[in-house]
Amino acid sequence: MSSPKAPTLEEFRTRAALSGLTLTPEDVEHLHKGYVGLLAMMQRIPTHWAWAAEPPQVFRADK
Amino acid sequence: MTDLTLLGIADAGRLLARGEITSIALTESFLKRIEAVDSKISSYITVTADLARNAAHQADREIKGGARRGPMHGIPVALKDIYETAGVKTTGHSHFKKDYVPAIDAETVRRLKDAGAVILGKLGTHEFANGAMTPDQPFPAVRNPWNVKYQPGGSSSGSGAAVAAQLCMGAMGSDTGGSIRNPAGFCGTAGIKPTYGLLSRCGIFPLSFSLDTAGPLAWTTEDCALMLDVLAGHDPNDQGSARTTKVDYGAAAQRPIKGLRIALARNWYEDKDAVTLEMKKGVDEAVRVLKDLGATVDDVVFPDVWDYHICGRVIITIEAHAIHRQEVIETPEKFGYTTRRRFQLGAFLTAEQYISALRFRRQLTLDTRAAMRGYDLVMCANHWGAPETFEEPQPIFHFLGKPSLTMPFNVTGQPAATVCCGFSSDGYPLSFQLAGRAFDEASVVAAGAAYERATPWRAHRPKL
Repeated sequence: MSSPKAPTLEEFRTRAALSGLTLTPEDVEHLHKGYVGLLAMMQRIPTHWAWAAEPPQVFRADK
Repeated sequence: MTDLTLLGIADAGRLLARGEITSIALTESFLKRIEAVDSKISSYITVTADLARNAAHQADREIKGGARRGPMHGIPVALKDIYETAGVKTTGHSHFKKDYVPAIDAETVRRLKDAGAVILGKLGTHEFANGAMTPDQPFPAVRNPWNVKYQPGGSSSGSGAAVAAQLCMGAMGSDTGGSIRNPAGFCGTAGIKPTYGLLSRCGIFPLSFSLDTAGPLAWTTEDCALMLDVLAGHDPNDQGSARTTKVDYGAAAQRPIKGLRIALARNWYEDKDAVTLEMKKGVDEAVRVLKDLGATVDDVVFPDVWDYHICGRVIITIEAHAIHRQEVIETPEKFGYTTRRRFQLGAFLTAEQYISALRFRRQLTLDTRAAMRGYDLVMCANHWGAPETFEEPQPIFHFLGKPSLTMPFNVTGQPAATVCCGFSSDGYPLSFQLAGRAFDEASVVAAGAAYERATPWRAHRPKL
């Protein structure tokens, strides 16, 4: 993925403040842990795709 | 007459057709049992006793008059409480919807009613089917009938518990990452996540548009097949609904499986330390039984189960956030503790990450299809082992622990059934999954039903 570096809690707080969500300090701490964990697992998802690798939900004008 | 609540749908249907039992007798037996034992497992949120009695009387009148509609006519079933029901509360097990009364039925509910099924009530779930039970919700957590100290699995927790505890003959669940197959596995029932698009989701609270699948749980695979017979079909009001040929799933459940080719995805569960020895042995023994029945079973290497797990998890996290974003911003405190955080997390993922997950999904689907070449079914363990207890602290982000063994077939959209294959030394159900090619529920049903007929596990019921 394009954002392999996990944010620190401080960096994550800044981002959380811009998210539009109403978050308690406890929410932010939990979400930081969840986000960092998810990001680590997302390293498995390839970063480079062939042009033909379209997502499965392709828009169809006839539908 | 034996206890009517021990009958399966197929047997009860035959007895009803011959006039040897009545729907009202069946329905009263279930209502009586709900009254007697459901307080121990809290599987029901709402019991619609009067509506059920009316439907049962009508079924009896029609059957007696020679107008039997089919195998589901007069059969008592229940619904996960995310299925909208006209005039009956549909809560989503959430403070947000605890007084919500829809005006019309979900399409699947309409189909069940058209088939003459008797709706006993609405069943507990994880809040909005999100996959975690927390105590700060308006209804009690559902408990596992095999041992009430244990979780029943979810999110179709009430559906699994009620079927296992003889509180309905069949139940509707939904499966986004395993929410039919987990409770089916932990409660020892059968359950089928159909191919994405086979059943309408119209009128069912969504969790993740591109993964959500409606499906049945019942005591046997054959009973799930009979439910599928009335549930499957195109619905123009569901954008994901497919146009498919009508299949007789009930007949498929009687098919011999000699010559069926099964790919065993052993690398998904045996390479990890997390699976219990008893679960491994249970699956190995199931392989032996399927071979004795004439199937061939070979070890086949599939993509790593973590790949499917993270792919599906990114899609669910983002789509669930999009669906619940407004409530998460305006009234986050109304969500349960865990639900809120899971729905908030999607706000931190980017559009590029979502698109990459969708592309990864396509790649995994193609790779799975390639690995299945020459095989009709995929087989693997259903879950890792014993259910979690209520006393254990529940992780907020459970997906950071073990990979889900059910997620591969949500990612690929294939049909997958849970089949009970015995019990652990502690008395908990063991189970395996059988997955077919897209829209080949018939092969899944045939193999699951043949296995159940050849083994004694369907004779074991939890004692409450």
